[in-house]
Amino acid sequence: MSTENNPTEVVFTRTFNAPRQLVWDAWTQEKQLLQWMGPAGAKGLYAKMDFRAGGSYHYAIEFSGQEMWGLWSITEIDPPKKIVVIQSFSDKDRGITAHPMAPTWPKKMLSTTTFDEQGGKTTVAIHWLPYEASQEEIDTFEAARPGMGQGWSGTFDRLAEYLGKL
Amino acid sequence: MVHYESTSDHLSATFAALADPTRRAMLMRLGQGTATVQELAKPFNISAPAISKHIKVLEKAGLITREKDAQWRRCRIEAARLKEANEFIEKYRKFWEDSFDRLEIYLKKLQGKEGESNEHRK
Repeated sequence: MSTENNPTEVVFTRTFNAPRQLVWDAWTQEKQLLQWMGPAGAKGLYAKMDFRAGGSYHYAIEFSGQEMWGLWSITEIDPPKKIVVIQSFSDKDRGITAHPMAPTWPKKMLSTTTFDEQGGKTTVAIHWLPYEASQEEIDTFEAARPGMGQGWSGTFDRLAEYLGKL
Repeated sequence: MVHYESTSDHLSATFAALADPTRRAMLMRLGQGTATVQELAKPFNISAPAISKHIKVLEKAGLITREKDAQWRRCRIEAARLKEANEFIEKYRKFWEDSFDRLEIYLKKLQGKEGESNEHRK
């Protein structure tokens, strides 16, 4: 009934005033990842990187009093330009788990991150697509997608905001 | 997280309902005020049974309610479920926006723009 076609990707991008190698290292080394990944006020708790295609990154972040574990299964590395991982929520023992708040959210997300340098600045783009997802997971992703990435037109967001004022 | 389980149940139903563009458009219309089924159906070139099916999905997900006794049973949008879904999306977006902000500060520090020894936020 809903999505017969393939899901559209969500993209997050940002341009940093730093050379590509520096950004790449910050993105791919466990000690550095711990310093910045997570929402405002987050604290890196655990990070274990096995940096190779077929390797993984297992990490834990604490924020708003909650502990969040995540796992990347690294599928492709092209330094310092591109890294492809399958990203999941996980537990301490590297078991893949569903999103705690939305069980039909895709358990595996194919996440391709590219690094482009121009004039000493580096643009990072994260592309997300559900991976090995059920139709239900794809539908959930599709419903949330318009609000997640950039170029967000804001219909859903504005509507919820408007309703909040009622 | 007192309503932990029920919230996650809601979210699945809400997202399933929102996955369809026709239903999203119907909600947008209802965001402007209540409407009859006929009014809701107007912009769409689909059959009455199909419209009625969409309305049932929205109703079951708790995204809309229908007036019980009025003759035209006007549809009304319900804010709570939509807000829940919006908060979920917002969290995801914030995760990466904040991470990018923090990475920016971290990279500045690495490049020797020293100042405070602790990261600070505005």
